[in-house]
Amino acid sequence: MNIKKLWIGVIALVTMMVLAACSDESDDSSSDNEQGEDEVTVELFNIKVETTDQLDSLIEDYESENEHVNINVTTVGGGQDASSALQAKFSSGDEPSIFLLGGLSDTEKYSEYLLDVSDMESAKTAIDGTLQGATLDGTPYGIPLNIEGFGWMINKDIFERAGVDPSTIDSYDKFVEAVETIDSQKEELGIDSVFAFSAMEDWVVSQFSNHFTAPEFDNDVNVAYEADELQFEYGERMKEYTDLINQYNYQPILSLDYGTSVEELFANDRTAIIHQGNWIVPSLNSIDETFTQEKLGILPLFTDSDDEGYISAGPSWFWGINKEKDDEVVEESKKFIDWMYTSEKGKELIVTDFKYVPAHEGYDIESITDPVSKEVYEMLLDDKGRVWAHNQYPDGFFSTALFPEFQKYLGEKITWEEFEKVAAEKFKEMR
Amino acid sequence: MNFSKRTYWLFLFPTLLALLLVLIIPFGQGIYYSFTQYNGFEVSAFVGLDNYKNLFSDDQFVYSLWFTAGFSIASVIGINVIGLSLAMLVTQKLGRISTLFRTVYFMPNLIGGIILGFIWQFIFLKAFTGIADLTGLDIFRGWLSDTETGFWGLVILFVWQMSGYIMVIYVSFLNNVPKELMEAATIDGANIWQSFWKVKFPMIAPAFTISLFLTLSNAFKVYDQNMALTSGGPFGSTEMVTMNIYNTAFKVQEMGYAQAKAILFLIIITFISVLQLYITRKRETEL
Repeated sequence: MNIKKLWIGVIALVTMMVLAACSDESDDSSSDNEQGEDEVTVELFNIKVETTDQLDSLIEDYESENEHVNINVTTVGGGQDASSALQAKFSSGDEPSIFLLGGLSDTEKYSEYLLDVSDMESAKTAIDGTLQGATLDGTPYGIPLNIEGFGWMINKDIFERAGVDPSTIDSYDKFVEAVETIDSQKEELGIDSVFAFSAMEDWVVSQFSNHFTAPEFDNDVNVAYEADELQFEYGERMKEYTDLINQYNYQPILSLDYGTSVEELFANDRTAIIHQGNWIVPSLNSIDETFTQEKLGILPLFTDSDDEGYISAGPSWFWGINKEKDDEVVEESKKFIDWMYTSEKGKELIVTDFKYVPAHEGYDIESITDPVSKEVYEMLLDDKGRVWAHNQYPDGFFSTALFPEFQKYLGEKITWEEFEKVAAEKFKEMR
Repeated sequence: MNFSKRTYWLFLFPTLLALLLVLIIPFGQGIYYSFTQYNGFEVSAFVGLDNYKNLFSDDQFVYSLWFTAGFSIASVIGINVIGLSLAMLVTQKLGRISTLFRTVYFMPNLIGGIILGFIWQFIFLKAFTGIADLTGLDIFRGWLSDTETGFWGLVILFVWQMSGYIMVIYVSFLNNVPKELMEAATIDGANIWQSFWKVKFPMIAPAFTISLFLTLSNAFKVYDQNMALTSGGPFGSTEMVTMNIYNTAFKVQEMGYAQAKAILFLIIITFISVLQLYITRKRETEL
């Protein structure tokens, strides 16, 4: 008897809740209809924290041109944790309409949601090969966000004061020579150390490894993605570079973080070389505008041949569009991305406001304001750039295998052979 | 009678529903996932006990367990010794100053773990280097760049955070020790040392039960402090179990395996907590 009444109570309660939820929704839709044209809300999931403000103002411009479109941005911090947040959004059923893909493994993971972008304007104008990183079985699923290039970021001023002309460094031996020359004049130059390689950051180590793994994977992201093994074909050279860094680096190298390395040591002329990419330009600009204009340079690494140097450059993130959303949302998402990369206003903002190296054609090279970004763009067009193969490592490989083992080698806990062996084993296991 | 029983369940119902939805169902799901290969999206295979078998050959996980155990022992001792000392200090009759000190000691506990981690990272990396440069003492150099300093760095951070909280618990128990007992002890000729160990100490035994339980289980579950201070580095040697589980789940994307780790971890924590409660309960003195 009691139980029966209890159940009646429960059912009544649940019914009320359901009814309340339903009536809420019907309220919403009717208010939309009153405005004549349907308002479309596009949910955008952003991972590039460093350009959040720029993205917001770009969206504001877009919304003022297209009043019926409302774009909501969710921004979550850089790197791996953002991927988890994105995944959480998907598993909770609150999928965004536009989101960023970090490479082929993301593309595959979300492939059932992703729209084939091949007929979009921004896909047609993308520079040859830049769609590769989000292409599965010949179908592109993402629009490249921008080009990012990394290698040795140098302080040209220190090089010149030490009597080294950076443009003459055209082989590995010359590079070593330059490092030794600078090191011998540390006192006079007022620097703490030649290198400030931040070995506390897993992503710095991962990017560093890219110079040596990209040629092993034929400089092709799809090969890298499908590779079952990592054999350290160029491990010998990687060891030489690693030893060189460790010998001339700011110590203790293992607790050197990004902030100290870039904003404290490099920006204040206290170190000559760091391993970073053109994304440090905005933060250097915020400290000293003249630094990037006058002192900043980029040097390649010599991996597979002694006199052919390469930096790594390519798109690292791709905009994916969720095709499971309502048709008009998908349509507006496509329009927005196209506008961002192909309209005059969008192009201008991408280069001058975001300070991105564009991944699309039809941009005026001269409009890229800082010399290093221009250099990266030119090197990419000259085939002096390696692809971002390290983005195609197995999930978690760099942070839970490559990085700790690399740190162990730097801390002299293991030999280089052990490093290669363990990392290769883990690569196989995790693939 | 009948009515009250029905109302009893009716009033309990919302809580039970909430518990069911956010605790019991996810818990059951978690147990299920620990028997599968699961990437967060779809279950690709049912693997039975394989995940659990793999746990014991996962060196990094076993290492994390030991590291966490070591950390817990060091910080439980540190927190309780310092917490009790602070409590003794602020219960001396010093007037307003003792209230001020209570607030000050309690303050670190109000700051979130992530921020604390970054504050201490700054202290260990920048301030300590500064001290080393000034004094030439090598002990202040290279903190967080090897396992030992990483370990003690975490212990110091956690002790600093938790001591004030535990102090408050001890303070309330110390204030409840009846004055007559202390007086009687003094009359019987006990010195300060004796009256502390023989009278006060047994009287505040229930405080130990609570404090040990809180510190022990919190020390085992530390994540944000660990993440912000060392993020497991160098070379994963300061990676605690919770971080290992998180990394397995969200970086390596092996949710099923991570779930198995979490279940084992839960069993370990439950066992230790129950054991600790059982032992300390037995020692409590009834007034």
